[in-house]
Amino acid sequence: MSLPDLVLSLADSKQMLGLRYAEWATRAPTLEADIAAAAMGLDELGHSRVLYGCLEPLGGNPRAGEGDASSYRAAAYLDQPWTSYAEFVAANAILDSAYTAVLQALAEGEVEVLQTRLRKMLQEERYHFLHGRSWRREGLDPEPEARAWREALEFFGPPGGDLDPAALRAALEEKVEAPAPALEIDWSKWDPLRRRTRPGAIDEATFAMLRGLEERRFMPAGAARQS
Amino acid sequence: MRTYSRVHPSVREYEVFARKLRTEPLRQIGSVVAPDEDLARAYARATYDEERWIEMAIVPRDDLIWLWQPGEEGSSE
Repeated sequence: MSLPDLVLSLADSKQMLGLRYAEWATRAPTLEADIAAAAMGLDELGHSRVLYGCLEPLGGNPRAGEGDASSYRAAAYLDQPWTSYAEFVAANAILDSAYTAVLQALAEGEVEVLQTRLRKMLQEERYHFLHGRSWRREGLDPEPEARAWREALEFFGPPGGDLDPAALRAALEEKVEAPAPALEIDWSKWDPLRRRTRPGAIDEATFAMLRGLEERRFMPAGAARQS
Repeated sequence: MRTYSRVHPSVREYEVFARKLRTEPLRQIGSVVAPDEDLARAYARATYDEERWIEMAIVPRDDLIWLWQPGEEGSSE
């Protein structure tokens, strides 16, 4: 696993997280939570843009060609739209914080482009953390949280990998103020590029939207023919 | 007659203050409703960060100490 591979998986993850947050901009429990979902969605999409932009100075984008939905390197948790606000909160409190822990490590590392470009991202993430921490206290359905923990630990990777999973896990536990649940992860199934064990891919509608195909449906016939 | 309030008794309203320049005073720019300080901070940032504030603060509305209000003795209204 190269550094560009890791940064690309962070960029893809944040893009998907942003899209999933945004889907709740009119469905969250309160008006303020709607606005927060929209704002955090915009933040995540902005973060993914910055991270994609880091790939060039790091040696280029490791994703060759167009790829299909399964070339997208995001957690399985983000494959499908969430059906409950508890899933939103678990992603916000656990998964988003896990990505922040990795970003923090990269920002404190020796690669200059990451030292400089990740700073604003980390500032914005403070508010995502506060949002997730407070909603966690509401005692929502615990099932999504266990799933989010699993995917966070899978993102950190196996012992002896490119990251320090024990340190990242400890940082996440300290931040979330809770121990990680006891989980068995079958690392033989772990995909080092997508940083997950589960197969599958993002849903077709979201992938079509990312590729611009959904927008084409609304273009005037002439414009569609020219392209 | 009870006056209408969007705010549920179990949550608090927080007034949001901000300024754009060091030379201008903090002014009230709006409010948010939240059950605790964590969410109030996250909501204030999400709702009001479209402009380039150099400083932003929140205060629980209940913590404001009113000397007088419109129509009361001391008010110039």
